[in-house]
Amino acid sequence: MANVVEGISKELASIVEAAGPAVVRVEGRRRLPASGIVWSEGGIVVTAHHVVEREDRLSVGLADDQQVDAELVGRDPTTDLAVLRVEGVGLSPAAPAALDDLSVGHLVLALGRPGRTVQATLGIVSALGTSWRTAAGGTIDRYLQTDVVMYPGFSGGPLVNAEGKVLGLNTSALRGVSLSIPNSTVDRIVESILSHGKVQRGYLGVGVQPVKLPEALAEELGQETGLILISVEPGSPAEAGGLTLGDTLLSLHGDPVPRLDDLLSLLSSELVGEEVIVRVLRGGGVREQKVTIGERQ
Amino acid sequence: MTSMLQEFNAESALLAERVQRSLVRVESGRWGAGAGTIWHSEGLILTNSHVARSRRLRVSLPDGRRAAARLLARSRDLDLAALTVQLNDLPTIELGDSATLQPGHWVMAFGHPWGVQGAATAGVVIGQGGQLPESPEFGRDWLAVGLHYRPGHSGGPLVDFSGRLVGINTVMVGPDVGLAVPVHEIKRFLKHSLQRAAA
Repeated sequence: MANVVEGISKELASIVEAAGPAVVRVEGRRRLPASGIVWSEGGIVVTAHHVVEREDRLSVGLADDQQVDAELVGRDPTTDLAVLRVEGVGLSPAAPAALDDLSVGHLVLALGRPGRTVQATLGIVSALGTSWRTAAGGTIDRYLQTDVVMYPGFSGGPLVNAEGKVLGLNTSALRGVSLSIPNSTVDRIVESILSHGKVQRGYLGVGVQPVKLPEALAEELGQETGLILISVEPGSPAEAGGLTLGDTLLSLHGDPVPRLDDLLSLLSSELVGEEVIVRVLRGGGVREQKVTIGERQ
Repeated sequence: MTSMLQEFNAESALLAERVQRSLVRVESGRWGAGAGTIWHSEGLILTNSHVARSRRLRVSLPDGRRAAARLLARSRDLDLAALTVQLNDLPTIELGDSATLQPGHWVMAFGHPWGVQGAATAGVVIGQGGQLPESPEFGRDWLAVGLHYRPGHSGGPLVDFSGRLVGINTVMVGPDVGLAVPVHEIKRFLKHSLQRAAA
């Protein structure tokens, strides 16, 4: 007896063992250390922003018991991610998996290394949705919630699937539940931090409020609402591009902006410095303005 | 897909049935009741020190037998107690090897949470050792498990995927994490205290 239970038990333990070497301990705060993931070649380690409480004297604990110095390359509080670099040791990056084959109900493991050894908790995928924005304004590509227990020091560690591949980075700071930041978001933030030392955000310089569009226009555009400008900062990219108080934003760079969230998501790093077409409703007519997106400081 | 889960369920049920035979209830007078685990067929029962607080201890078995128990040895530091009862042919629990347990291994725990007799909870091993966060610091090993201990689980068995004893349910640290005294610590406690009792 006990063939399936034993089989699953051993498989879970072997997943932990196989994925363990890419899970590191991150010493960046006074209290309990947290976890990190060896993300890419060149000693790049990602962890959660909120567990890196100091900027220097950072170190990383490896699976082979080595403790090595780490440098903070940059951090993005809006997505709760921080990027560290470790030099002089050959670290093997974690094997990633896409979220395409993941479903609600699938078994997943959260791994961490707050101490010497790797630790694990088991759960299932509770919810899997589309992109969402954190309270701090960061865009996360997919909503990935699980019921794994975030044991103390697990923030910054990976969520792994039944094949032992990494689905994302676990954090307990974004909401009161166990959430993971999917690989695609981590990749985007890591890339931005490695090339700019931070995550660039687009800046328009307007205050907006959603308003209902005239019925005929709403039908024509297939869009119920737009964003009316209730303030335009002097000297801002919006002013330079000819936007004025009372204009109603309809779309930016071809994407409709019915709600504030849509506008904020569009103002990502890729658009910084780009000249884009902004469609506005002004005086009953639709017009297009060219606006060069600035960078939010 | 489904058949594997069904098989998993069927095996878990068999395993539970077997382990529950070695699970007893330990009544400790005005201190209430907890669980205990049958270690030896001639009446040796393991529980937590914090369960066996009264001088008048009674043990009841799942088969309905009841008996007064005598405290043989206890360690407050280890939170362990060994009791004896005047009963024979008790269904002993099979011993496992806690030292080879790894994070991710499947475990089940049994006890009487909130007085519900023989209830089960399951999860995986989080980790073990002497430096776990939230563990009481007694300079010895603990086993951290991701399952739902509740009042009444204390003293009951924590078993591995084959139903072998790997620990004694001892502390709940939050709603989803528990600490158990691993079986290698129990063996050390028994060896030490029973030798002393004999001497």
